Amino acid sequence: MSKPLQVLLVEDNAGDARLLHEMFRKEKAGSFALTHLLRMTEAVAHLEKGGVDILLLDMGLPDGHGLDTVRRAQAAAPNVPVIVLTGLNDEALAAQAMREGAQDYLIKGQIESRALPRALRHAIERHRMQQEAELIRVNQLQFKDKFLSHVSHELRSPLNAIYQFVTILFDNIGGELTPEQHDYLGIVLRNVKQLQAMIDDLLEVTRVQGGQLAIELQCTSVAEVIAFAVSTLQGAAQAKEIALTMDLGGQLPLVCADPMRVRQILIILLDNAIKFTPPGGSVRIRASAHAQDPNTLVLEIMDSGCGIDPAMTERIFDRLFQASDPALAGRQGLGLGLYICKELVARQGGRIWASGTPGKGAVLSFTLPLFSMRNLLVAALGDIANTPTPVTLVVAEMGSQTGWLSDEARGEHSHGMRELLQRCLHADQDVLLPTMGPSGRAELFFIVAATNLAGGESLARRIQRQFDNRDPALRVGLVLSTSIHSLMAAQHGVNPSDRVSFEAVAEAIHAMVNKELSSRMVVNG
Amino acid sequence: MANKRILIVDDDPDVRQAMHIRLKANSYDTFFASDALSSVTEARKQHPDLIILDLGLPGEDGYVVMERLQCHPALAAIPIIVVSARDARGNQDRVIAAGAQVYLQKPVINAELLAIIRQTLGEPEQPGDAGVTGNWKLLAG
Repeated sequence: MSKPLQVLLVEDNAGDARLLHEMFRKEKAGSFALTHLLRMTEAVAHLEKGGVDILLLDMGLPDGHGLDTVRRAQAAAPNVPVIVLTGLNDEALAAQAMREGAQDYLIKGQIESRALPRALRHAIERHRMQQEAELIRVNQLQFKDKFLSHVSHELRSPLNAIYQFVTILFDNIGGELTPEQHDYLGIVLRNVKQLQAMIDDLLEVTRVQGGQLAIELQCTSVAEVIAFAVSTLQGAAQAKEIALTMDLGGQLPLVCADPMRVRQILIILLDNAIKFTPPGGSVRIRASAHAQDPNTLVLEIMDSGCGIDPAMTERIFDRLFQASDPALAGRQGLGLGLYICKELVARQGGRIWASGTPGKGAVLSFTLPLFSMRNLLVAALGDIANTPTPVTLVVAEMGSQTGWLSDEARGEHSHGMRELLQRCLHADQDVLLPTMGPSGRAELFFIVAATNLAGGESLARRIQRQFDNRDPALRVGLVLSTSIHSLMAAQHGVNPSDRVSFEAVAEAIHAMVNKELSSRMVVNG
Repeated sequence: MANKRILIVDDDPDVRQAMHIRLKANSYDTFFASDALSSVTEARKQHPDLIILDLGLPGEDGYVVMERLQCHPALAAIPIIVVSARDARGNQDRVIAAGAQVYLQKPVINAELLAIIRQTLGEPEQPGDAGVTGNWKLLAG
């Protein structure tokens, strides 16, 4: 005989609870085991212990309200199906609860005793099927990503060997070539490069989708990055007799971005612009302060090419999108470039869009946040400002020589965390954050890494990854202390070699989340 | 003047051969190793002017090679250019900390590699080098 189904009923109304009790009593002995609790807090504690098969949840508890009760229940036990109990006039709320993930709703006073067990079993079965489908979906996605990543990695080595030997021949190192042979090899070389670019795009997309794209926000000079990108593509532009120019509009403010990623975006956009501009045309790149938003810088790439169909300005950023005009399309790659740009811009807190009229050239614009403490921290903080609980802040300073923390801070609290961080580095499992703060856990873990000491940064990054995998609810931020130093230097005239107080960062975080930091824990690793 | 001598450490024979041809055409003498152990042995035997080192080697990797070389006072001073397919992030800093001069990510552009070899060996720049190493400095910075 199968085990009885463990039903948890959370209902504060004695009359409603009694009715349900009686309905369950009529069922065959041993088919259901009912636990009845009155409060949400008790229910959460009970759910966290495990063993519940299904939850019958009243949406009007004294310590829980409406949809919030459903969310809390699901946070406590994501694998337990929920049926909400509502009043006669609350069907709209019940429907919302189902959108939040509840399996079903029962209207109090209208529950038929014969239908109750069926409703429970349906809910459990449906939930199981949903989870199975989700598991299959996730597995398939992971497999696809792994497969793509593996294949593109493996394709690189032989392609690299082909590239090396073709260039050896092309440069006449293997002996003099006839002009004809030289031309033919040029075609081989062009195709090899195209293949390399496609494989790089493919790898990049698997990184984007696998969430492995590393973005290091730091104090970045856009002017330098633009100059680099322009010099990289000047040759391609000249070969097509296209004038590639830049307009940097005087002194540009620094941005909070990842220079490698901005360079990557610019190269994709400039390369596209050159591709879609006929010989003799022009491609211009301009950077200027955003007219509406003083907090951002806008970069524009303008060409004199065929322009963009207004109906397509959104779609061009879709994955695998390719221009449909056969005269222009030719063989142009996988259609991943603009998709990669969109992702890279978004992850740096910017926006990208296209404009321009067909036949009169295209403009691709994107924004980057200016370099400020706020923008530096916002990525690490995420939406923590919207969480209802106070924030527990843990700051770990890794491998610093610059003395970012005060001596007092170093002495305080550091022992337990140091041990923890070391375990995190050396063991791959069983690392838990110590209990902190009123909610019994840390909400925000902040790592500050100094790049000036060997390995500080990669050490911090490894810890960040480990925490990310272990506890998705925990926000793990990483900021390079060199960035904070340059910010302090720019704004407060602090000499980069001076000590910068931990309090300054804590205060900035405090101002942003606009709430008390419930506790601050500091450690140097 | 005698040619400068370069030790190429890579487990892919095609990569070794291509690099050998390219370097010979630029008047460098080359010799090879394909794993961590033989690269330290070769370095001791040959005392090269420069080592071009891949990180991904069978068994012990390029980091182990650098660690071993640092232990030999006579070998610790040999400049190292690391050329690897591994992600520059996370490796660039580590490689420099381990004693290398430069980290280059594969696939390497020949003009770039040659310019950096000349720079590392303190040889005179050639036309076009400044652009390449200038860019490289920006990347590294």
